[in-house]
Amino acid sequence: MRFMVGKAKGQRSATRRQVITRFVATAALMATTALTGVMFGSSGARAEDEIRIGVIYPLTGAAASTGVELKAAAELAAAMVNKEIAAPDGLTVAAGLPGLKGAKIKLIFGDHQGNPQVGATEAERLITSEKVVALTGAYFSNVTATASQVAERYGVPFLNAESSSASLTQRNFKWFFRTTPHDDLFVTNFFTFLEDMEKKTGKELRTLGLFNENTLWGNETTKLQVRLSDERKFKIAEKIIYPAKTTQMTSEVQRLKAANPAVIMQSSYLGDAILSMKTYKELGFSPSMLLANDAGFNDSEFLKTLGKDGEYIISREVWALDQAERNPLIKKVNDLMRERSGVNFNGNSARSFTGIAVLADALNRAGSTKPEDIRKALQETNIPGSGLIMPWKGIKFDASGQNELGQGIIVQVQGGQYVTVWPTEVATKPIVFPMPAWDKR
Amino acid sequence: MSNRTVLDPRKALGAVALLAFALLLPLGITDPARLNFFILILMGAQLGVAWNIVGGYAGQVSLGHAVFYGIGAYCSTMLALSLGLSPWIGMLAGGLLAVVFALVMGWPCFRLKGHYFAMATIAVAEIVQILVTNSEFLEGAVGLSLPLDRSGLAAMVFLSKLPYYYIILGLLVVTVLVAWAIERSHIGYYFRAIKDEPEAARALGVSLTRYKLIALSVSAFLTAVGGSFYAQKEMFIDPGSVFVGAISIKIALVAILGGVGTLMGPVLGAVILITIEEYSRTLFGSTGSGTDMIIYAMMIILVAVFSPAGVMGLLQDLRRHLPGAGKTSETR
Repeated sequence: MRFMVGKAKGQRSATRRQVITRFVATAALMATTALTGVMFGSSGARAEDEIRIGVIYPLTGAAASTGVELKAAAELAAAMVNKEIAAPDGLTVAAGLPGLKGAKIKLIFGDHQGNPQVGATEAERLITSEKVVALTGAYFSNVTATASQVAERYGVPFLNAESSSASLTQRNFKWFFRTTPHDDLFVTNFFTFLEDMEKKTGKELRTLGLFNENTLWGNETTKLQVRLSDERKFKIAEKIIYPAKTTQMTSEVQRLKAANPAVIMQSSYLGDAILSMKTYKELGFSPSMLLANDAGFNDSEFLKTLGKDGEYIISREVWALDQAERNPLIKKVNDLMRERSGVNFNGNSARSFTGIAVLADALNRAGSTKPEDIRKALQETNIPGSGLIMPWKGIKFDASGQNELGQGIIVQVQGGQYVTVWPTEVATKPIVFPMPAWDKR
Repeated sequence: MSNRTVLDPRKALGAVALLAFALLLPLGITDPARLNFFILILMGAQLGVAWNIVGGYAGQVSLGHAVFYGIGAYCSTMLALSLGLSPWIGMLAGGLLAVVFALVMGWPCFRLKGHYFAMATIAVAEIVQILVTNSEFLEGAVGLSLPLDRSGLAAMVFLSKLPYYYIILGLLVVTVLVAWAIERSHIGYYFRAIKDEPEAARALGVSLTRYKLIALSVSAFLTAVGGSFYAQKEMFIDPGSVFVGAISIKIALVAILGGVGTLMGPVLGAVILITIEEYSRTLFGSTGSGTDMIIYAMMIILVAVFSPAGVMGLLQDLRRHLPGAGKTSETR
């Protein structure tokens, strides 16, 4: 580490040539520093009749690809509100903003890089420099936490469409609203789903094997699962918390196999999800049901890597493409998305789209761009499920700002596709149960 | 190295002018986002100067300073949430806890030298992050939120940005003064001896472990104080925001970019690094093409290639070669 710590020994007497090179380098560095500073001061001119909404997403860093998708979805929603693209009738966004005499909304994007402090800095910049009337974002739960803190201080509505940490709506914030269901609800859904399945199939699904990874998410999920199985009289046959990004799972899977639970509840990111499936096959372990907690099991790489071996797993989702088959409105919106940005909607981008739609709906009803009016309108939000592209009953906020009508869905891999199998009212295919054994496929 | 027992009047004047500028700066700023930018610079500078005590003067490169930062943030926040203790006290408590931790961690780690010490600090920081993530007592991954309703000087929560500016400026001044006092005292000479010629220092009777531990403890205390300030400013902490490796790297980067082992080098480094970081993001971040990160990275590469001694080293080289500047060339 010497080279970083101190001057290298020969460096004290630099030659003239070195000095000149260094001088140029310093000058360039200083110039860039100064220049970036000057350019910041001159934000572009803004039209009077445009309503500015701040949108904070991870546009660089590890989650950049997700952030760019979220941005495309938000832009599509804004274009529909502004009538630049004809939205299918019946959709909330199709209404536009007659309440504001057809004003246009303009999205101002901020990049939080997955860093909570940057998220707060961007929120403040958007509110004070860019004069946005409302904020939305930020995908990462911890960034949403700091960015919404800033919005709360300034008294600007913050609509969160895609962060699922339950604690966000337990803070008694006045200006915070969340449309997506949170993690507690997703896990609760699992148990409701299992009870439904028992009724439908007449089979006992009361013994559970919990198989979760050991980072924050896996741990939080485990805690919740243990609590809920107590409350709902399920029995935990085995509980394994494995180290994330592990390179082998043989002993863990052997323990699961020995405990022989009816249902495996698993929370894994991509690499671990693939590894576990390979290990299940190797050891010939096939429970009646493999109930995965989204993440790795729903990654587009999961089926690409596993092919047929990924079949029949069941996972939770917030959205699935087959919803477009069920509902022609969703299909039309998805076609427009594909036309514009070349990708289909997924759970994240569909929720972002919905976030902008909800904000536009509130702005329209408020008929004003005053934060207090927008907040009141958000509180009175009552959008039916038919006006959304989400498999929800609708949008209506409770006192804490949480949407009461949201729900998760449960999908199963069938024929290389994720198809919705639960809840029944949005299901597109019947469930395959029990999961066929490896040698009978 | 010349004997500096007397204060150079020109330097003293410069310091006073700089402080006066910093004190008056917010008066001309009405935009809170702009003021926030200066707060970020001061935060970076304070951490850089604190890191420099162990990483620069004593030459023990730590790439795990996030652990002290996180301890400071969690300690003051936990005390405020559970006992309702003022963060001013919590800040000191966090600092002391960080010192205890530094002593426990330094004892085994200082048996390692150079790169191996740096690696050990990374490992310790990772371990602590995992422990905190899984600690139910500390709310694990969910993180801690400070309530907004308790605002005021005692609670160190303000709606305006101005008090934050002056608090962090005060912390930076204290940190620089500590570094300055160390630089001038015999401890500072011991540190530099340990860095340049550890064997010779030992032969002369300098206890290596003892002085390395002193350097790490002082640095840890000041870094933890910076962490408490972060918690008070953002009002939400989780392991992913205060214990991550990215924080450790940034703290070290500020000092290395500015110039390790120099008093004001980290301050200069923070000005440059934070300016580039913030403005490149503001200008290009919303495009989603990563331009800001490319510019940011290029700047760091440029400095690393052209001057391993940091921007401060560049300036000193230049000064030495400018005509008529021979007299000041001794300064470090």
